[in-house]
Amino acid sequence: MRLLTKTTLYFLLAMVPLLTAGGFYLFHQFSRELNQEMDAELLNDEVQWVRYIAEQTENGGPFILKTPELLIYPVDEDVSNLPTVTDTYQFQAIVNANVPYRQLSQVLFVRGIPYQVIIRKSKVQQSVLVTNVTRIMFFVFTGLFAVTLLFNWFISKRLWKPFQRSLEKINSAELQKMEAVYFDKDTSVQEFNELNAALNTMANKIHNDYITMKEFTEDAAHEMQTPLAVAQSKLELLLQDTGLNDEQASSIVEASTAIKRLARLNQSLLLLAKIDNNQYETNETISLNAVTSKYLSFFDAIIKDKAIKVAATFNGDFNIKMHPMLAESLVSNLVGNAIKYNYTGGNILIDISSNHYSISNTSEFSAIAPGLLFKRFKNTRSTDDNSNGMGLAIVKKIADTHQLAISYSAEKGVHQFIITKKGIHGGSSAGNY
Amino acid sequence: MSMKILIIEDEPALQASIQKYLEHQGFVCEAVGDFKKGKEKINAFNYDCVVVDIGLPFGSGLDIVKELKEIESTTGIIIISARNSLEDKLQGLETGSDDYLTKPFHLSELNARINAIIRRKSFGGSKTISFNEIKLYVDAMRVTVNEKTIDLTDKEYQLLEYFIVNQRRVLTKAAIAEHIWGDEYDQVSNYDFIYTHIKNLRKKLMDAGAADYIKTVYGTGYRFTDI
Repeated sequence: MRLLTKTTLYFLLAMVPLLTAGGFYLFHQFSRELNQEMDAELLNDEVQWVRYIAEQTENGGPFILKTPELLIYPVDEDVSNLPTVTDTYQFQAIVNANVPYRQLSQVLFVRGIPYQVIIRKSKVQQSVLVTNVTRIMFFVFTGLFAVTLLFNWFISKRLWKPFQRSLEKINSAELQKMEAVYFDKDTSVQEFNELNAALNTMANKIHNDYITMKEFTEDAAHEMQTPLAVAQSKLELLLQDTGLNDEQASSIVEASTAIKRLARLNQSLLLLAKIDNNQYETNETISLNAVTSKYLSFFDAIIKDKAIKVAATFNGDFNIKMHPMLAESLVSNLVGNAIKYNYTGGNILIDISSNHYSISNTSEFSAIAPGLLFKRFKNTRSTDDNSNGMGLAIVKKIADTHQLAISYSAEKGVHQFIITKKGIHGGSSAGNY
Repeated sequence: MSMKILIIEDEPALQASIQKYLEHQGFVCEAVGDFKKGKEKINAFNYDCVVVDIGLPFGSGLDIVKELKEIESTTGIIIISARNSLEDKLQGLETGSDDYLTKPFHLSELNARINAIIRRKSFGGSKTISFNEIKLYVDAMRVTVNEKTIDLTDKEYQLLEYFIVNQRRVLTKAAIAEHIWGDEYDQVSNYDFIYTHIKNLRKKLMDAGAADYIKTVYGTGYRFTDI
């Protein structure tokens, strides 16, 4: 729920009892005033009537008058000192309903005879008043509601504008371009200024941390290569020792392989860091077809060794603006994986058109879990290979930074990767990650 | 006459490894650990090849390269660097270096590259490599055994050249595969596929009358040797 809707709702909820109480108070004030006035009138009427009875009964004989609003008759009762005024209901045939009345009743002596005097006055006016008050309250409430909504809409349009702008900036902020993010500190609302100032500080900190982190990654990667070179060279010299037995020699080779893997891992991390850092921006357009052909012949020795049948169909040139090194990295990883995870005598199918690049291979490995697919280190499919689990992470990173969608599917022992250009329809996709 | 090599590398352990390997392959080596000493050396002596690291105390290895170009030296230059980006390589080569090798590297690879540079730079000298009855004509990529030409594929030729240059050394399958097929191969496969190529080469050489020089070193790789 939007903040404004919420405040409006609370405001309106608070208004309900307030207006109800106001309505009741108003009604009571009115009805008390009216009752008082009516009672005074009733008393005045009584006085008039008593005087009238006295005149009429000058010559003796009882006086009797019976109308719905006025009852005067002699009774055999004690005289009440004060008139009692009460509310009653009486049936009225015209409206076919009980109608409220204000009634005065008193027993008093007129020329020595006790008379019961009852005077009634209709209170219909008063119930009309209740209806009116309620109606007015309702109108006020509705009006208030409409006005509040209108105001809120207006406020959200105007007052919240700086907030919306900040929100948009946060949403579109990219880690690599944090230094370009600036939040306006001179809006007309102090709270937003404070928020934006805090956001600026945060953005700066993120940017600085990011730069530090990036530099650290690069420096660490480079610094690591030299000790690796030392270890590598020492092992190579050690291997020349003629006194080594087979076991020792194998250990040295294994250590050397591990060093090679570490060096490669290092380079992969560095590559990812550099892609993040936009160090591979280019205006060159490159055809992935050419790169693919290049790698197919490059890996020829191993394709032949594993007796893999490659069927490449080039229906059109998949041209894309991409740094040649990234294009090579992308293709070598995809083609390399298709070979590596294939079995002897397996197949590789490559199908390329102008906006669709698909490569599939037969494999004994089960499908990669979608959650692990493009995660670094997570998708190493066997433990004894040279994989560092970075290949697909690199592929994904390159795709992401070049408006390419990449999807993966595995069915009946055939694993397939499809790359399509984003914004161009026509390429099938089996679920994007 | 032996070829003279200058190694400019600030990491003593790596410097020593390089020196030891190259000396073993018949080079005369000098090694220094910083920019100033390197600069003094190249101005005072003539080397056939200089192996230089980029990141050095007191200066950049690239300035050593520039210095060598300024004094119009014919010395071959090979940069060894921890940085492997295309930009770094291009910069190194544009400055005038003949080759660029990224750390970590196989010493056998460095040795092969130094040999190639020296051969390329030697004017009038015979661009041939000999090993007993085997002779390689580098420019033509032709091989003779007892003066008789044998027919080798490109890969087999490269394999043989690499073996002879690094003769008597144990070469790991990784080092061999990387030299001939490039280092991207290592993420795709183990190196068992090179066995076929080595087997074919050995057969062709022996069919032509050469001795069996390619020795398998169990669990490790191969050694090309006549002893």
